[in-house]
Order: sequence, then structure tokens, then C-alpha cells
Amino acid sequence: MPGEVGIQMRQKSIQAVGIVLTFSYAAFIIWIYATEPRTFKEVATSAEIAAGTYQINQERFNSALALFRHEQFRAARDEWQRADPAQGDARTQFYVSYAFYREGWGRVYYDQALIKQGLEAVNRASSLTANGSLTVDDPNLQMHTVAELKAELEQARERGWSDLNPFKVLRTRK
Amino acid sequence: MESNRSRNRALVSFIVLPMLFLTVALLGGLRVGAEDHAFIFIPPPLVMLLLAVLLALLFVRGHLIELPRWVASSNSPLTNFSHIWMLLTLFFASAQAFNSVLPERGLLHWLFSFFFLWTLWNNLFSRFDARRLLHSLAVLFGTAFVLKHLLLAGLYSQDRGWLQRVAGALLQGVSLGTLDTPAFAPASGYISFFTLALFVAGLFLLPFAQNREAAELAHPVVENYKKLPPSDRVIASEVILEDSTTSPRELDGILEEGRE
Repeated sequence: MPGEVGIQMRQKSIQAVGIVLTFSYAAFIIWIYATEPRTFKEVATSAEIAAGTYQINQERFNSALALFRHEQFRAARDEWQRADPAQGDARTQFYVSYAFYREGWGRVYYDQALIKQGLEAVNRASSLTANGSLTVDDPNLQMHTVAELKAELEQARERGWSDLNPFKVLRTRK
Repeated sequence: MESNRSRNRALVSFIVLPMLFLTVALLGGLRVGAEDHAFIFIPPPLVMLLLAVLLALLFVRGHLIELPRWVASSNSPLTNFSHIWMLLTLFFASAQAFNSVLPERGLLHWLFSFFFLWTLWNNLFSRFDARRLLHSLAVLFGTAFVLKHLLLAGLYSQDRGWLQRVAGALLQGVSLGTLDTPAFAPASGYISFFTLALFVAGLFLLPFAQNREAAELAHPVVENYKKLPPSDRVIASEVILEDSTTSPRELDGILEEGRE
């Protein structure tokens, strides 16, 4: 009965192909619901991140860095947002957090809303690195690691009696 | 010819149907925001899973799914696995089909859920065959679609006329503000329509995917049934529709009574 054997073999191959195809499709659906992209562009960006081929827009990153150095923190953050729309690059998120820190820093008090956003960004940067540590070699910065920046932001969030210390006005922004 | 039939059946049951049901599972929770036209993915709430379980029971009871034939010890493990996987995709597609036609929150969400629950629960105790079940489900989903995506969407849309505004305000007032229905872009309605069409098409394809051995065995019975005079056909169909097993001798007796 070679015909029957052939039919059975064909059925098995269809089954195998079906399982592979439908499992991949199901995985894609689970991924879509987990990442919740808002546009087709975000779908593509999320796919790039998942595939490990995601790259930020370097031109925009550089222009944001120039704005950051001219103390135009909001404009810099907008540019970084455009450079890294998926918020998937640790270095960019580090700079975004730094921009929040510098803008939120005050000689007398910290802007808590900005510091909070800075903390969120530094946490994102930390989660995007393999072991949670990242070093940025930028001579214009005084904090070069995620840990340093995070500690500074967390300190800024804390409230205590030391806030009443008048010598605090002498502190410097990092 | 037999080869083509078995190949087509395999294609439908192992590739087409799972892909179709997975597409329903993908699109069932997809909405498009009214303001920014962004995608919003809504996973099925717990009540949808409950409704999907009831629907699955109804599929089995209505013989749309011949469970002993889909998963049997005589099948190869790969075939059983593929069939179980297909049934799983059907389950999630059912949950998402409900998700697609039920309001997302507020009093209407619970009202719709209750009516679905009530209808499915009642249907579980009704006499159904696969064809009637399919028609009933098509009507049920169609009605829910019209209510949600035409009636309610019209009342709560962004660019509604004054009459719709008045009706919406009245409805909100009567329900003491519990009709908190989110507004979506019209594209959501189109997606829902496409999703339901796919789901119903998948359900209509289900019997085709099943092993036709039973139908082939039933063929001589049907042929003999067709030979009966019309009065005997009525009696025979009544006896067949009864779930109790009737012996041929009893059947002869019933037919004699009917003739008298």
C-alpha cells in the first residue's frame, strides 16, 4: 500500500509544518499583547529590539547631546526621545535621566516631579544592561555610572532634617 | 481523489483552522483609540474565559466538535497533539470573540456578560445539532456586534449629532452614570466585524476538518431514510432525535403505530 503510506507521510509533514507555523504565530500574539505597541512603527521597533537589531538614531542623539551641554534639558530630552523611541538604549536612557537630574536640581530644593522621572529613566537604563551596570565615558559629566546617578537621584528624593541645614546651599550640581 | 480529500482535510485542520482562530485571538482584543488612533490591546477578562468554557461545552454538546474522534487512542500522538492545540486555539478565539463584542467596562459590560452567560447556559440544556448551533451562534454574535458597534458606538462617538448627544445623556442619567463606555475610532468596529466573520467562518469549517468516516458510515442509513414515505420519515426523525437508543423491533412498532 505505497499510496496510503504516502498519504500518511504527507499528513505528518502537514501536521509538523502546522505546529511550527501556529506556535510561532501564537508566540507573536503573546509578544504583541505583552509589549502593547501603539502603532505599526512601534511594532517594527519592538521587533527590532526582540531581534537584537535595534539601533538609535545617532544624528538625533548627537544633537540632543549638544542641547544638553547648552543646558537646554527639555529640548535635549525631546531629541533623545526621538532618537530612542522604544526607550531601548541604555546609554540614551542614562542621559535622559541625567537631564532630569540637572533640570530638577536646585540650590535650595529639588523638583521632585523631575527627579522622579529621572529615577524612572535610570531604572530603565539599568534594566537594559546585562548586569545592571553601565559606564558612560563623558568628561562633561561628573557621574559616569548608573549606580552613581541612581544614588544621587534617590538621595534627592529623600526628605529629612538635613534638608534644613543652611550649608546645603553651598552644594554643587554634579 | 481520496488523496486530495485527506490532504485538504489535513491542511484545514492543522494549518488553516489554527491560524484562523489565532487571528481571531489577536484581533478580538484590538481597539483603535478615538483621539490618537493608537492601538489598544485588551486581554480577555476572566468572565470571557468562563463564557468560552460554556461555548466549548456547547460545541461538544451540539456535536460541532466530536471530541472522542478528535482525541482518540487510535490516533497518533502527533495527531492528538495537533488536535488538542487546535481546540486550544478555538478556546482562545472564543474568548476573544466575546471580548470583541462586549463593552469594555461599566454596567453594560456586566449586562452583556450576564445575557451571554444566560443564553449559553440555557442552550446547554437545549437540543442542538451542529447546524442549528452555528446559526444560533451567528445570530448571537451578530446581535451583540450590532448593539455594541452600531448602537452604543453611535451614542458615544466623538462626532455625534445633537439627537445622539441627548440620547446618550438620557441613558447616562437613567443609569446614574454607570454606563461608562469608552469611545473608540470607527476602525474598531471594522476590526470587530472582520474578527467575527473569521470566527464564524472557522466554526463553519470545523465539521469539514473532522474525520468524515462517521458521515460515510451514516450514508446508507440516510439512503434508507430517503426511501421511507413522508409520514414514516417524520416518525423516524423524531425517534432519531430522541437520545435514547431504540432497537429495530421497537422502531418497527413505532412505525406501525404511526401508520395506524
